[in-house]
Amino acid sequence: MPRKKHGADEKTRPVGGNLTEQLAAELRGGREWGQPTIHEEEFPTGLIRATVIWDEWDHLSHEDRTAVILQAYERAEGAAYRDLVTLASGLTVPEAYGVGMLPYQVLPALRKGDPVTADDCRRAMVEMGASTLVAPDQPQLRFLLEEEAEAAVKELGRRLPGSEPVWHVHREVGRVEDWATA
Amino acid sequence: MPKPLLARCRPDSIQEFRAAARRRFDDGLALASSGRGTGAIYVWGYTAEMILKAAYFTLLGLAEDHPLGWATDLRPAIERGRTLGIPWPRGGDGHNVRAWADLLVAERRLRGNPFAPVLARNVRRRGQRFESLWRETLRYRKNVAYHYEVRKVREAAEWFLVHAPVL
Repeated sequence: MPRKKHGADEKTRPVGGNLTEQLAAELRGGREWGQPTIHEEEFPTGLIRATVIWDEWDHLSHEDRTAVILQAYERAEGAAYRDLVTLASGLTVPEAYGVGMLPYQVLPALRKGDPVTADDCRRAMVEMGASTLVAPDQPQLRFLLEEEAEAAVKELGRRLPGSEPVWHVHREVGRVEDWATA
Repeated sequence: MPKPLLARCRPDSIQEFRAAARRRFDDGLALASSGRGTGAIYVWGYTAEMILKAAYFTLLGLAEDHPLGWATDLRPAIERGRTLGIPWPRGGDGHNVRAWADLLVAERRLRGNPFAPVLARNVRRRGQRFESLWRETLRYRKNVAYHYEVRKVREAAEWFLVHAPVL
């Protein structure tokens, strides 16, 4: 029987594609808007939970997503920092919404006479990181925090001058049962 | 109108896992004492599972009441275990008591805070005991557990419950 020795240290297995390098570049100095969005939470122990929301995960298994995230951290921040990332998960925007991570949505409400078109809005939303996975012609621009959604509205107004009144922030509300008194 | 049971439940968290682990253990005792050995084993498995999950997320530094989600906490922890080389079979991943035990021992060691050797051995041994006697799919089975199997699982679940403060 062959004898195979494995180290006890954590291993990351190589995953194809250039997602690792793209994500590493985001970690080195990310853009303010657009996908991926990287949520880091540091626990009192110094360990880190990293959740990367990115529609590019769509064709990858969760195992591969985790491997990509850890490799990207290693490239961008070094092995010591990667070791702190204990919980690494990759979710697409619809998946993140599904687990309640993105309750705020920025939506256009176009009326006749508005200075921008539906196409302008769609294009700007996609550039800002909206997901087109569910419906390519109805991008979903979603955020974890209300402040982020409000900032996105401002940015959309800057990118599409005159469009400020078009945008509004919608917050998902819970189920009726959650509001009932015990 | 009072909220129905599920609407009254809080999200999963370390404190909920610990409290529920105690309840499920007591449920198991009631079942075992009325001759429902397989039912007892079934709920005792969750006692061990919840104690181990609570210990693992406590080790990471999560707050006691921090909501634990499948996509944000449990699945990443399982992927973490696989990254560390722990055999973690697909299907019912979140319920694999042996794998959670292995992950807890490995993570403690990696964080420079290893269990004492005897304690580490006991955690893993109890975890392994569940591998052959418990799976969450037991609820679909009509089989009747032998007395010695009920005794072995009770002892292991009780061990996890008693040692929860030091895990």
